[in-house]
Amino acid sequence: MQHRKMMKMIPLLALLAVPLAHADTVDDLLKGYQAQGAGPFSAEKGKAMWSEQHASTEGGAARSCAACHGENLTSTGKHAKTGKAIEPMAPSANPQRFTDAAKVEKWFKRNCTWTVGRECTPQEKGDFLSYLRKQ
Amino acid sequence: MQGNSVRVWDLPLRLFHWLLVAMFALAWWSNGHAQHLDLHIFAGYTILALLLFRLAWGFTGTHHARFRSFAYGKRTLLAYLRDLRSARQPHYLGHNPAGAWAIFTMLTLLLAIAVSGLIVLGGEEGHGPLAGFVSLESGIAWHESHAWLAWAMLLLVVVHLAGVVVESLLHRDNLLAAMISGNKRVRDAQPQVGNRRVVAGVMAVAWLGAALATVLPWYRADADHPYQPFPGTTLPDNATWRSECGGCHQPYHPQLLPKRSWQLMLKQQEDHFGEALGLDEATIAELLQFHETNAADHPLMEAAWYINHSLRRDETPLRITETPYWRKTHAAIPEERWRDPQVNGRGNCAACHSDAERNTFSDAAMRLPRPNR
Repeated sequence: MQHRKMMKMIPLLALLAVPLAHADTVDDLLKGYQAQGAGPFSAEKGKAMWSEQHASTEGGAARSCAACHGENLTSTGKHAKTGKAIEPMAPSANPQRFTDAAKVEKWFKRNCTWTVGRECTPQEKGDFLSYLRKQ
Repeated sequence: MQGNSVRVWDLPLRLFHWLLVAMFALAWWSNGHAQHLDLHIFAGYTILALLLFRLAWGFTGTHHARFRSFAYGKRTLLAYLRDLRSARQPHYLGHNPAGAWAIFTMLTLLLAIAVSGLIVLGGEEGHGPLAGFVSLESGIAWHESHAWLAWAMLLLVVVHLAGVVVESLLHRDNLLAAMISGNKRVRDAQPQVGNRRVVAGVMAVAWLGAALATVLPWYRADADHPYQPFPGTTLPDNATWRSECGGCHQPYHPQLLPKRSWQLMLKQQEDHFGEALGLDEATIAELLQFHETNAADHPLMEAAWYINHSLRRDETPLRITETPYWRKTHAAIPEERWRDPQVNGRGNCAACHSDAERNTFSDAAMRLPRPNR
């Protein structure tokens, strides 16, 4: 009986955990970057980098984070090439953001490579996350 | 011609004739427009129902509608054709022997068209009474027979019309007017047939009901709830495919390209149309497995079969839009339509294919959005 009651509690606990999940994940990620020698992190720098324009090596329009995700982080973005809708970046509008460390790293790798032409440094990633987590 | 007017064709027979004309025309027109497949199918089912009615009416209808009354032998037919212009020609109140032969041929041909249509519907679209009994390949193979039979029917319609004109002129017997009013003028007294209004009423109500059921859902549908009269089969799914491929674009199903294309694409993941995917080995392995198993080489739907068969064995396209079948089926779409913000390029299948999310690309699910002005 006791066991069954506890089982019933699990979804409830999971519900409570969601708003905190991104905070935990981001903290862990930031710690990881610090372990690689980065820090302290600046949300201001992250914000500036978000809108920074990068000339494309293949020609075509300049690239930036905002080109796909938009300047307004609480609204839906649009993939520059395919037009696919991109869920809001701000955790306040999209609680699923930054809850999965592997996903965060995957997208950093893919999107920094496309936008800036190289992978982002731990310092840059830390600055980005410091800015984005507060949105 | 002097004389009395007597009823020759009862009302159900005339309704049969003109509904058949209308439905054959509708079937012919809707055939060229994949998005009107539901109308084509509706016309086909109506024709099948009309044929079944005619079969029954051939035994239970009024005198001139009964097969026995116009089952002329070959000799009678030849004699009729030989004596076409002579005065010896007996006058036929009902069908003349040539008309009778044309009718039996047309009824048989229409039955063959209806049945072959059901085979195509079952095989290609997975719908109708034969769904599940007919393979995709058989459906596609029968499609051509269905079309040839329809052309043969059109040829017979022309022969039939020519016969009506000849008979009307030669024997001063307006056959067209008779098929509308049901009456013919006769010199001597002849027994006239009943009108059978109740049977005709039941036919009319049944057809109107079916027509409304076909058309009404279109008026209830809107952009968010598109009406799909013939939803396609449910294709194999995979969560990794949905999340990884669906992260940047709509997830294109493995069915849309052959195995060799997917193998090459996943091998070149560091240059995926200009982007480095950076997927780990386990993810690539799972995606490869899902794509190899469900590629177009083993088609589960019509579009996959055609895409695969349009490719030469030494072609390995990386874009669905590079396949000859895709190019052929989209050739009529002008460049400016692709640039329309509603359409947003060739990669956005969902702009016109309301079943793009299901990846089935059924004929009936295709809708061209109205151009923005």
